[in-house]
Amino acid sequence: MNIDDWKSQIKRGTLELCVLLLIKQRSSYGYEIISTLDKYPIVAAKENTIYPLLRRLLKEGYISSSWQEGTEGLPPRKYYSLTAQGQEYLDAMCVEWGNLVNAIAELKGE
Amino acid sequence: MEKILNDYLEKMEKHLKPIPISERMDIINEIKSEMQELYNNGVPAEKIIERLGNPKDLAKAYLGDLLSKERHFSWNRILIICAFFSLFGLSGICIVPCLGVIAPSLMISGILCVMAGIIKMLDSIFALNLPYVENIGVHIGENVFLHPVAEFMICLIIGVLLFYAGYAAWKLLVLFCKKVSRTAKKL
Repeated sequence: MNIDDWKSQIKRGTLELCVLLLIKQRSSYGYEIISTLDKYPIVAAKENTIYPLLRRLLKEGYISSSWQEGTEGLPPRKYYSLTAQGQEYLDAMCVEWGNLVNAIAELKGE
Repeated sequence: MEKILNDYLEKMEKHLKPIPISERMDIINEIKSEMQELYNNGVPAEKIIERLGNPKDLAKAYLGDLLSKERHFSWNRILIICAFFSLFGLSGICIVPCLGVIAPSLMISGILCVMAGIIKMLDSIFALNLPYVENIGVHIGENVFLHPVAEFMICLIIGVLLFYAGYAAWKLLVLFCKKVSRTAKKL
């Protein structure tokens, strides 16, 4: 049984959705996104996955970024927020996600 | 910040060279920001390095898309490139010089045609008897002679048509060149 292989495929396919959902809730910075995802082992990912993913989403115009100066000893942070285009993309993803969940529920005979 | 953290960032920057400087600095600053965040939370420098992994691997993760595009080798791709350059190389040999000659020739012909019509008309109106003007004219049949003004009108129409044909050939040439360079970039 090679469940780990399957789990990594799930992660690869859904990480983008998770990151966009997270950024939609509120503007967030890289380390915070990684820490939040860390709470859910199925979608937990390291720096070498999240940062390039954020960069790609930025290039595709789904998210925007702005540096915010650090205050009281905090380092400057690069905050990401969802764009209108990203919202549209996220909505389309959520519809497909709903379709997937429904399909699996039906196949399970629920 | 501790030296090993700075060293880490320097190594990472070295491996990010294919990315333009402004983007590269942005990437480095973002990683630096996370390092400071962790450091402020009391995580020792060694643990931070451990968490981030090998600087070369982290840099490579950013280059991921770039590398897969550039390094991907396949015979299919080689064949496509060969086909492209032999096809456009050959067609370029014919199309570019042909259109390059046709376009200005047609345009100049158009202008000359109208000028000839004007000369003929002025010659007949003012009875200038200019030499060789009898050779200029629109010949329809053996015994049909048109009025010089009518001849001028025909010259004007034909001239405009020739000029536009030349202009179209020029546009076609520009389009061809643009299309080829755009397709070449995609390969």
